[in-house]
Amino acid sequence: MKEAFSARMLRIHFGEDDRWQGKPLHEAILAKCKDLNIAEAIVFRGIEGYGAGSRIRRSRLFSKDAPIQISIIDTEEQIAKLIPFLDSVVEEGLVASSAVEIIRYSRVSIPPTAR
Amino acid sequence: MLYPGKAVKVTIYLSEGATHHGASVYSSILDFLFYRGVAGATVTKGIAGFGADHHMHSSSTVDISDHLPLKIEFIDAREKVDSLLGKLEELTGSGLIEVQETTVAKPAQVSNPKKTIPPSHLKMEGKAQMMRIFVSEEDRWKNKPLHEALVEAMRANDIAGVTVYRGILGYGAHRRLHKDKPLLSTHHGSVMLSAVDTAQKLRDFLPLVDQMVEEGLVVFSEVDIIKYAYKSLDDGEQMATPPTGNSTA
Repeated sequence: MKEAFSARMLRIHFGEDDRWQGKPLHEAILAKCKDLNIAEAIVFRGIEGYGAGSRIRRSRLFSKDAPIQISIIDTEEQIAKLIPFLDSVVEEGLVASSAVEIIRYSRVSIPPTAR
Repeated sequence: MLYPGKAVKVTIYLSEGATHHGASVYSSILDFLFYRGVAGATVTKGIAGFGADHHMHSSSTVDISDHLPLKIEFIDAREKVDSLLGKLEELTGSGLIEVQETTVAKPAQVSNPKKTIPPSHLKMEGKAQMMRIFVSEEDRWKNKPLHEALVEAMRANDIAGVTVYRGILGYGAHRRLHKDKPLLSTHHGSVMLSAVDTAQKLRDFLPLVDQMVEEGLVVFSEVDIIKYAYKSLDDGEQMATPPTGNSTA
């Protein structure tokens, strides 16, 4: 099954050792996305990078501060629901937002409300 | 698709060890022919031979055994072959290409004829599109990982550049949480392919994505290409480097 529609994509950048309530921030954000039934979320670990504060983030033997990027895709309304949560948990980081066109393929048809 | 009657047979002679952008030439050519919808192709390995350099290569000389001769043969209609020759010449490098008239007495049976993909021109401008494809790492297409098949298909269709990213955590259409477990040899993660080219080229490629991706998400966004090292096919270069880092999407 194939559907095409307009949507919004967020990319959130921060470091792997950033935490929220004791657990890794990326896991917390992903869990929130799942709660909100966000359509697609994926966490990437970068090899090296820098961001807020111009501190180079790199994974070393004893420190795990690789750069993390989360890509999140859903409709404008769904993304809007997530923003207040991000405001409260991301202390140091960057959120990039862009309008995108998407095509979704699925093996079974999913009613729009169950997304 | 072959029909009985006049056709053209192409034979390419090359060395087994020859490489093109890091991949062996014969597999690059075979991928190219496959994804361009050629009716069929066969690679034959020689046991001894010599070429333009007049060095005798045989399987008994262990140290140069990766220079053994290879022969790739395929048969297709004249127009089809003409449309492929330019790219083939580039891929073949120092090898030899022979084209001869032939007659097809009986074409091979095709169970499900594939659509042929027209060759496209390479032209890049400041504005471009980024296509991201989100699939699962365990998705397969024709017995190979889907993301690998997609990269091969894009390469064969001259998409300027594509990178596959493996996610460390994620979920998608099937609502199943993917987590990368470093100690397990088989990964069951989410992967993202990020390809950049003109909107037209990506749209032209989409029918193939439709065929290959059963479950997944394709995201299109407008991007401005700021730095783009790109050489045309005529200069003997094929792959362009997509912008790295954070795009302006």
